[in-house]
Amino acid sequence: MREAITVKNLSYKYPDGTKALENVNMEVQEGERIVIVGPNGAGKTTFMLHLNGTLHGTEGQIEIFGKSVDKMKRAEIVKEVGMVFQDPDDQLFMPTLFDDIAFGPINLGLKEDEVRERVAKAISSLGLSGFEDRAPHHLSFGEKKKASLAAVMAMEPRILVLDEPTANLDPYSRTELIGILNDLNEREGITMVIATHDVNAIPELADRIYALNRTIIETGTPREIFSNGELLEHNKLDVPDVFKLFEVLRCFGFGCEKLPLSLDDAVSGITKVIETEGGHIHLHIHEHTHTEVRKWKDKYGHH
Amino acid sequence: MVNYPEIDRYSALDSPMHRFDPRAKIIAFLILIFAVVLLPDLKLAFIGFIGAVLFLIASKLPLRFALQHIKWVFLFVVPFIVIMPFTVDGTEIFSFYGLTMTYEGLEYGILVAVRAISAVILVLPMIATTRFDITIKALDRLKMPNMLVQMFMFTYRYIFVFVVEFQRTWRAMVARGFKLKTSLYALKTIGKALGMLFVRSYERGDRVYQALRSRGYTGSPRTLVEFQMHASDYIWAILIIGFAVSLYVIPFAGVS
Ligand SMILES: Nc1ncnc2c1ncn2[C@@H]1O[C@H](COP(=O)(O)OP(=O)(O)O)[C@@H](O)[C@H]1O
Ligand SMILES: [Mg+2]
Repeated sequence: MREAITVKNLSYKYPDGTKALENVNMEVQEGERIVIVGPNGAGKTTFMLHLNGTLHGTEGQIEIFGKSVDKMKRAEIVKEVGMVFQDPDDQLFMPTLFDDIAFGPINLGLKEDEVRERVAKAISSLGLSGFEDRAPHHLSFGEKKKASLAAVMAMEPRILVLDEPTANLDPYSRTELIGILNDLNEREGITMVIATHDVNAIPELADRIYALNRTIIETGTPREIFSNGELLEHNKLDVPDVFKLFEVLRCFGFGCEKLPLSLDDAVSGITKVIETEGGHIHLHIHEHTHTEVRKWKDKYGHH
Repeated sequence: MVNYPEIDRYSALDSPMHRFDPRAKIIAFLILIFAVVLLPDLKLAFIGFIGAVLFLIASKLPLRFALQHIKWVFLFVVPFIVIMPFTVDGTEIFSFYGLTMTYEGLEYGILVAVRAISAVILVLPMIATTRFDITIKALDRLKMPNMLVQMFMFTYRYIFVFVVEFQRTWRAMVARGFKLKTSLYALKTIGKALGMLFVRSYERGDRVYQALRSRGYTGSPRTLVEFQMHASDYIWAILIIGFAVSLYVIPFAGVS
């Protein structure tokens, strides 16, 4: 497996003096799905803008498939790293969806029939058929989000960078988008770097998490990160609802070995417990239950 | 949803003007508009006006929609009709309190009004019968400077975002009890809100540029589009340009 992204000692200061990034290090393997978590203002967006050379670190180095971003030509980086911005209105600027999706491929210098082919493929793979002639202001937010993903996918990048892709989406569109992203990763082996606050989406989207707050605080699998109570507390990070619920169930004596991170996990976890405990689940209230529930509440600051 | 002020709301109708090739349409109507605006004579201006109305009818655009747009120009030209008769020297029609209304003034005021209204009427079959993005592409194919084409494109795209943002700000202000009054306080508040809106637009501009660059933008967005001239396009173009020319030839032919 190859290293898709290597970030070494990256620091960045905005012109007004804000130190947004300090000594950030990251390694991403080809085909990996990386989620970056961190509170507002942690520098997630700033960091991502470095990955395609939009911003250049005041210090440090970024390599994409072994090549230094600073030495790559604009056209070269753009072909490798596709960037989906948080607000689709920032990204869709052409009068129609077709033009917008065609914009990138045209800039890559592709021939007209090839451009049309790419557009058609991106439109159908994101389920946007029939919207070709629509103006962006006549699309719903969810459609705009998919459109901006289609516009980037039409450039066929090997790395996809997404800034808070599920923010502001309704539950249906959110699930749909997560499915689309995982599909792209599975079928085309696209490497993904995703910034998100959406903790419930993380178990489904992340092979590995980087916790960022100006600098990288910790990295690990979702399970490692979500089990690290101290890390979560210090950085005001949240964990998936399912995970919390099973922590509570544990206080009531539910005996699963691994706390589930997703609903699928939960189903197989419950099934396993039922099987080992002879066909049913046993919950109880003992003296210690109340103290444990109280502890649990304190942990997440619920009062 | 938001009610957008869209000039191309009825571009999906079907009429000879809708089927007219956008490039030929723009050129032909631009020539006619210039011809009408420069007409020196009231009778000719009326002929131009009648022609404009006929083209509008040919475009099948709803009358209400057309009037909406014409209304604004009308408000703009009314002062000419009122003021001109009293300020241009010439044959007196009547006078009171030292104000003299002249025949020449009246004629000139009406001339200005008729020319302006005819021009606006002609803009409708020219612009409102094509999707605006196609109009922009047509301008591009007509070799309009790329910088201007881009400006049209970005304006067209972001005016809607801007409208939505303004409405959002406005609703937030009203929701907290703001009332539009002609007080210094109200004006100051609106000033500040507009200021914020401009700052936000500026920041959005930054992000849009970043997004553009992320997709390989180097300065000239290009689009794919196919225009093709058919016989009917030539016929309409000749008809419209011919009408423009005849407005200037008629006087010499001694018709009037
Ligand atoms: N254009 C800018 N100029 C100055 N400071 C900025 C600018 N953009 C972001 N910042 C600051 O940099 C820090 C990181 O911001 P950002 O990368 O947007 O964080 P996140 O995406 O994690 O919310 C914040 O303190 C923010 O205020
Ligand atoms: Mg951000």
